[in-house]
Amino acid sequence: MIADFIRILRAADIQVSPAEAIDAAAVIEEIGIGQRRLLKHALGHTLAKTQFEKHAFEDCFDVYFKPPEMDLGDAEATSSGVPDEANAADEAGQSQESAGDTSDQDDTDGEAQEGQPGDQPGAPSGDPKKTAKKSGDPARDGKEEPEEAGERASLIDMLTQKDRAALQAAISEAAQKVGLADAKLFTQQGMFSRRIMEAMGLSQLDAHIRQLEEGGETGKAEGLREGRGQLFEAVFDFVERQIAMRTKNAGRLLREDALSRIRLSNLDRSDMKIMRGLIQRLAKRLASRHSRQRKKSRRGMLDIRRTMRRNVAYDGNLFELSWRRTKVERPKLLVLCDVSGSVAAVSQFFLMFLYSLDEVMPKTRSFVFSNRAGEISDMMRDGDMDQVMEQALREFGGGSTDYGMSMMDFAEATLDTIDHRTTVMILGDARSNYGDPGHLVLKEMHERARRVIWLNPEGESSWGTGDSEMKRLGAYCTHKQVCNSVKHVERVLDDLLRLST
Amino acid sequence: MSEMKNQAQDAIEAILAGYEKLGYISDEQIATALFLAQKLEKPLLVEGPPGVGKTELAKATAEYLGLDMIRLQCYEGLDESKALYEWQYGKQLLYTQVLKEKLGDLMQGTTSLDESMARLNNFEDVFFSEQFLQTRPLLQALQNEAGAVLLIDEIDKSDDEFEAFLLEILSDYQISIPELGTVKAKKPPLVFLTSNNTREIGDALKRRCLHLYIPFPDAARENTILQARVPELDAQLRDNIVNFVQAVRQMDLKKPPAVSETIDWARTVVLLNMTVLDAEFIRNTLNVLLKFRSDIETVEGEIGRLMRETQRTPDTPIQ
Repeated sequence: MIADFIRILRAADIQVSPAEAIDAAAVIEEIGIGQRRLLKHALGHTLAKTQFEKHAFEDCFDVYFKPPEMDLGDAEATSSGVPDEANAADEAGQSQESAGDTSDQDDTDGEAQEGQPGDQPGAPSGDPKKTAKKSGDPARDGKEEPEEAGERASLIDMLTQKDRAALQAAISEAAQKVGLADAKLFTQQGMFSRRIMEAMGLSQLDAHIRQLEEGGETGKAEGLREGRGQLFEAVFDFVERQIAMRTKNAGRLLREDALSRIRLSNLDRSDMKIMRGLIQRLAKRLASRHSRQRKKSRRGMLDIRRTMRRNVAYDGNLFELSWRRTKVERPKLLVLCDVSGSVAAVSQFFLMFLYSLDEVMPKTRSFVFSNRAGEISDMMRDGDMDQVMEQALREFGGGSTDYGMSMMDFAEATLDTIDHRTTVMILGDARSNYGDPGHLVLKEMHERARRVIWLNPEGESSWGTGDSEMKRLGAYCTHKQVCNSVKHVERVLDDLLRLST
Repeated sequence: MSEMKNQAQDAIEAILAGYEKLGYISDEQIATALFLAQKLEKPLLVEGPPGVGKTELAKATAEYLGLDMIRLQCYEGLDESKALYEWQYGKQLLYTQVLKEKLGDLMQGTTSLDESMARLNNFEDVFFSEQFLQTRPLLQALQNEAGAVLLIDEIDKSDDEFEAFLLEILSDYQISIPELGTVKAKKPPLVFLTSNNTREIGDALKRRCLHLYIPFPDAARENTILQARVPELDAQLRDNIVNFVQAVRQMDLKKPPAVSETIDWARTVVLLNMTVLDAEFIRNTLNVLLKFRSDIETVEGEIGRLMRETQRTPDTPIQ
């Protein structure tokens, strides 16, 4: 049961290690599964370790520890035979049903202990008819006890008696039998519902209904048919809930994987939100990887040679220790992004990614251009990404691309600050509309900067075709790379960080 | 089973009551976490915004359990020589020098090299012994006979290396000292780690801990906390203070006021003998509640509205 619950947690993006699963088992041992609230808190402490996970955990817990609910007819009719119910719960064994049952125990606690020795009650949670049912119990007990001592009631009996609890138990049992836990896709919903129904004895039921009809007992047959419909609905609902729980994130993960490869210029607006989350996560991963490296180099090992040299003055006694230090170089980054037309989308994501890395690359200045270039560093740091891009497009976009002019602007603003530690990155398609591509300016920057990296959203085969000046400009770049998907952006920035440490 | 769970329930209620007696108002979540930490002998990682009483929880626990509290404040650059132990090389060197001088006396009467080596070996223990070991918080906690409450405060401020270094202590309650071998805890200490989430804690560490998140308290609980902490405060005024702070927390601030700030503010009210919260007083003492200039400015403009919404006391005279 715990194993199954943990599988569901994992499906909901909560990372649960085997060690934590063992802890969870220990917790249950310690606390028991009687008190739902206590169990929830205790498992929460053990399994969910961030605030996000806490929320997800709570949702999962609430859904998981809740038995399937059915609505079968009126209050009187739902009262159930206790022995059946106990039997069914017995058989269900470790199925989810028994897990679900326990969750109710805190409200049904008192009654349950008297009523059913040794077993967990199958009373559905929050059932307003519960008391009615309980009070009806003694009367029914006598009638039903002898019947079906060892065997579970057949589907037909359960339906005629409208024995809700037994039906629920049967559903979960059947679900386990047909392997609902392995369901992966939403499209399997119908299939699994059908299988569960069959496992519960659908064919016998149908045969029975037909028999009744042929025998002229249409009233009974009608009732059963109705029950069958309701049952089907309940099963379908149950399966839907289970599958939803298990596959909550599978779809998203698939989508994100696809999105990280798609050409950014082809991106749909509706995917923007997922994209932003994806970028943030990738950036975080990158940042944590590289911040670790930076910290490592701050300390070092004992530098024996230097220590010896230093301590010559003390007659060779090692007083002053000196440590080997690795010099850390933070990347000083200048970025120039084309925000015209087709390149704008790539630029936007590139910048978004870049500023998510603020932690490891604090000395970044960024410029955007189409016909003139302008700095947006401050806007990027404070503002909301969408607004900034919009504003940048309004201010600097619009006109036709003028590489020559923009390069001049860029150089004027930055050339003095470019030194041997600076990395210059330019993102653009290098299509200058047959005008001056600004390669002379780039040459000057290339001479001063540590490296110049050109990122081109176009494929390498189209470099130099038409008005593309990539060949000419590329001569003054240390690296030239194709960059048109999030994967590319990630790789570029990763390389950059690696180079500079 | 029912007996066992009742025991758990009882124990948790006992913890709750115990805290309350000490003036630390907790809730069931916190008590459950402590109960589990004790039972499973696992460290407890406490997260939450600054000032909600994470450190206070450890202090209250130590007092409740009657154990020593050993505190290790983390900071960037903290390493094992500050956290665990320091080998006093200087002292050892000094001893060696002394020995060098005494070497002649010692070796008197020895005829062969083997004999003198054997004699020297007798002194080996002196050179690698605990007297050169300067214990630091972690080692102290392990060596404490009665067990202790070990508070590793603001773990997020330390480096990754230190976090990794903690793993051995936290999972096995033992520590390897190259000079002496492995030191095992006499009685596993109850470990609290606190974090303000300035950086993500490593998964390996998280996995070894139970995780407790303490959020800002709701109005009722904050009220109780104030009652416990500033008992001399008048009930009406307490309500007003709590409501006001809760409303301020709803605003978009750089750093919303935490419980500790509420307590400070309540103390200010008592100290200045105020009988009613008025706009003038709030304006003058906002700096107790808020720690950023921009936040104070934001709230200042809204005092009127906040007061109207939170101070439902038409019967109190306005001063």
